[in-house]
Amino acid sequence: MLVLSRRKGEKIVIGNEIFIEVLSVSGEGVRLGITAPSETSIHRHEIFVEIQEANHNAEMVLNEIEHTSLEQLSAHIRISKKQ
Amino acid sequence: MPSIFIKGQEYSYSEEQIINFSEGLIGLPNLRRAVLVPLPDCEPFFWLASMNDEKYRFVVVNPHEIFPDYNPSEFVILNEYETKFLVIVKVSSDWQKTTINLRAPILINAKSKRGVQMVLAESPYRLTETLPNN
Repeated sequence: MLVLSRRKGEKIVIGNEIFIEVLSVSGEGVRLGITAPSETSIHRHEIFVEIQEANHNAEMVLNEIEHTSLEQLSAHIRISKKQ
Repeated sequence: MPSIFIKGQEYSYSEEQIINFSEGLIGLPNLRRAVLVPLPDCEPFFWLASMNDEKYRFVVVNPHEIFPDYNPSEFVILNEYETKFLVIVKVSSDWQKTTINLRAPILINAKSKRGVQMVLAESPYRLTETLPNN
């Protein structure tokens, strides 16, 4: 891991297009300003991990699923739509 | 017509059914190209299956088929038109325990067929929303 020290108002650059500025520091908290191309996704790490796990779980669970469970689910959705 | 095997079954598809994810799905950076095929006898559900080696596959659905009031555009700025949403379904062997990820929908540009999974971090939508009327 690369470790850099920065002060308030200073920036780092990742690649050619991603800029991260330290906006303010107070106690244990840091506010960062991030400039990046619009197609770059930026997430808080804990949210990224949460979605990653949800994706993995949704995928893994399919190993054990029979087609009949999907048919039952589908029938339920179609019935509730009609009501 | 090309075809793909998903859970042991063969599905043929056409070019228009291929979605390109330039970043992959969240936490799955290698899922760059996927094909969207209807699940047989399981309307309105689809398979979203990776065309890369790993053969990841998901059950997805247009969220409005199940949650008519779902409105992610309240929480995200959409700078492209003609977009459609899909959400990932976590199927349970007891179908009533199935949950749906409304917090991280997949956005697809209907024209370019480019897709991205986004996080509605500021929204009340849940990662594991249960089926309505349950």
